[in-house]
Amino acid sequence: MFSYVKRQIATKAAQFSAKAAGVVLVALLAGTGAAWGAVGCDLNDPDRDVARLFPESTGYKAMYISVQQRGGEKLLERIEAKLGDKFHGLFETIDIPYTVYEIRAKNKKIGYIHGVNQKGQFGGIQVFLALDLEGRIRAFYIQKMTSQHAGKLRDAKFGRQFIGFALADFEQYDVASGKASGRVDEIRNPAPEAEADFRAALRATKKNLVLMDEFVFSSKVLSPDNGASPQ
Amino acid sequence: MITKFQVAYKNLLRKKIRSLLTLSGIALSAWVLVSLLGFNHGFETALNKDIDNMGFQMMIMAKGCPYEAATMMLKGGTGLKYMDTSIADTIRKEPDVEKITPMLMQTVFDPNKGESGGIAAYLGVEPKSYGEMKTFLTFRQGGWFTQADAYEAVMGYEAAELEQREVGDLILIPGKNVQFKVVGILNRTGTQDDGTIFVPLRTLQKIFGKTDALTTIGVKVRKDADSSRIEEKFYALPDVQVVNLAQVKQTILSLVSTAKVLVLSIAIIAILIAMVGVINTILMSVHERFQEIGILKTIGAMPGDIFQLIWIETLLLCTTGGVVGVVLALILSRITELVFRNLLPYSPSGGLVLIDAKLVLFTLGAVLAIGLLSGLYPAWQAGRIRPLEAIRSDVNG
Repeated sequence: MFSYVKRQIATKAAQFSAKAAGVVLVALLAGTGAAWGAVGCDLNDPDRDVARLFPESTGYKAMYISVQQRGGEKLLERIEAKLGDKFHGLFETIDIPYTVYEIRAKNKKIGYIHGVNQKGQFGGIQVFLALDLEGRIRAFYIQKMTSQHAGKLRDAKFGRQFIGFALADFEQYDVASGKASGRVDEIRNPAPEAEADFRAALRATKKNLVLMDEFVFSSKVLSPDNGASPQ
Repeated sequence: MITKFQVAYKNLLRKKIRSLLTLSGIALSAWVLVSLLGFNHGFETALNKDIDNMGFQMMIMAKGCPYEAATMMLKGGTGLKYMDTSIADTIRKEPDVEKITPMLMQTVFDPNKGESGGIAAYLGVEPKSYGEMKTFLTFRQGGWFTQADAYEAVMGYEAAELEQREVGDLILIPGKNVQFKVVGILNRTGTQDDGTIFVPLRTLQKIFGKTDALTTIGVKVRKDADSSRIEEKFYALPDVQVVNLAQVKQTILSLVSTAKVLVLSIAIIAILIAMVGVINTILMSVHERFQEIGILKTIGAMPGDIFQLIWIETLLLCTTGGVVGVVLALILSRITELVFRNLLPYSPSGGLVLIDAKLVLFTLGAVLAIGLLSGLYPAWQAGRIRPLEAIRSDVNG
């Protein structure tokens, strides 16, 4: 009798587990209220990544800014003019919500982290820049890249070449032709076989700096000096 | 000549605030009723649509094989179990099976995804059978693979967005150094397909050395077939597990039904309160007009006339309240939907509150029936008032 009851309980439990698993499956397969807008570029693990890129930081705040919301077509034209290239393709659109991480040490703002998506030869490249309050690069980080040579381009040695650069250094860099003058010309490609991805990384860096200039450094609302914390 | 409707209407206007409050009670009850029944209808419709969007009612996979991406990712892309392609042939022969689509899931570790690497997954499919099964898949760019063994890929919208791929671009399987040409980008579906990279089944089998191996078979059974019986039959196959999505749907519906019973109970209580409100309002009205009714009877009104007069008042209150409630429900349906979405642990995509003409008519009918029922007693009381007794009474004084 006792074993019969035990069997019944076991059967019921098994049925319940199967049902519960099914529920999870349907929820996952069906998706729940998917966001239909364009996708931005976020740090995979902000707590860990912020601490790594800004070791002195004590906190951060994420802000979401899109070109559409901030200035629309006129701003886009200005950004494209500064970049020296058009936003193109299915996914480089005006409505992308860019994530700007405002980094703080105690109650003082000490810098920003911002990432952009860039089309690479075999997949999307995510280029993050850690910037000080003057807009100079403190750290360069490729979060994601698909390439046989990704290891070389993601290496810290390659990233160190960008430290100290600002938008002004990239002004003479032509993203369309890949021709550079001044300091940018000194950046060496560690993987000549992956020239397309190297140039994609440079375009992403310039785009990142242009966007940050428009969103933060030239912006009255998001001035690095006024300590404003826009939402 | 003044009609009974006009008399009833004027009577209701004599106590505007009281009539308005009663009407509000009925309107709120009708609103709750329409919203809940609309939710009942909408949830089931949305869930059915989601299940249909999966394209198949059953998934058959090797025992112990994780059957959705999330579990697989949690396991670090390991733990995939395989079954022989011959199982697909056995299932295809089953007379109650309408269509099947064989699939092979493969994962690779990509060290260049994030700080500590990540998993890249690929789903090998037969474009013909997969496309036939998932007819809701539409292309934003391009189309399916040109050949069954081509080195071509079709990407779900979100996968393409993450990889910034368009038709004509290349993708690379990390570690294998195999390149695929992107030939199609799917439109968003709101399902797991959005994040999937599809490649031809045969090509994927070849690249990973899994010729004759499958991870999943999607099965669509005939409409009139007994899916439980078929499921039992499939369980008899060696080393496979069956996930019956029809059962999953029933489980979700039964989970949600608990919440629905609770909310429907609240609706019934609201309706009962509204009913008592109507009875109270009309009874008070009858009581206040005790002498007036007596005089009406003295000058020739029959008990039936008085009964009708009082009943019409109830009818007017309930009809107006019902209409206001339905309009409220229609206007606030989006907010109601948001509330339900926040309350429920799982809600399907699409509209959760579906209010159609049938539902509106049913609710109006129900409110009317409840109202008329509530009016019976006060109307009966009014009809049996004795004229002389009423005239002699000092109810107002």
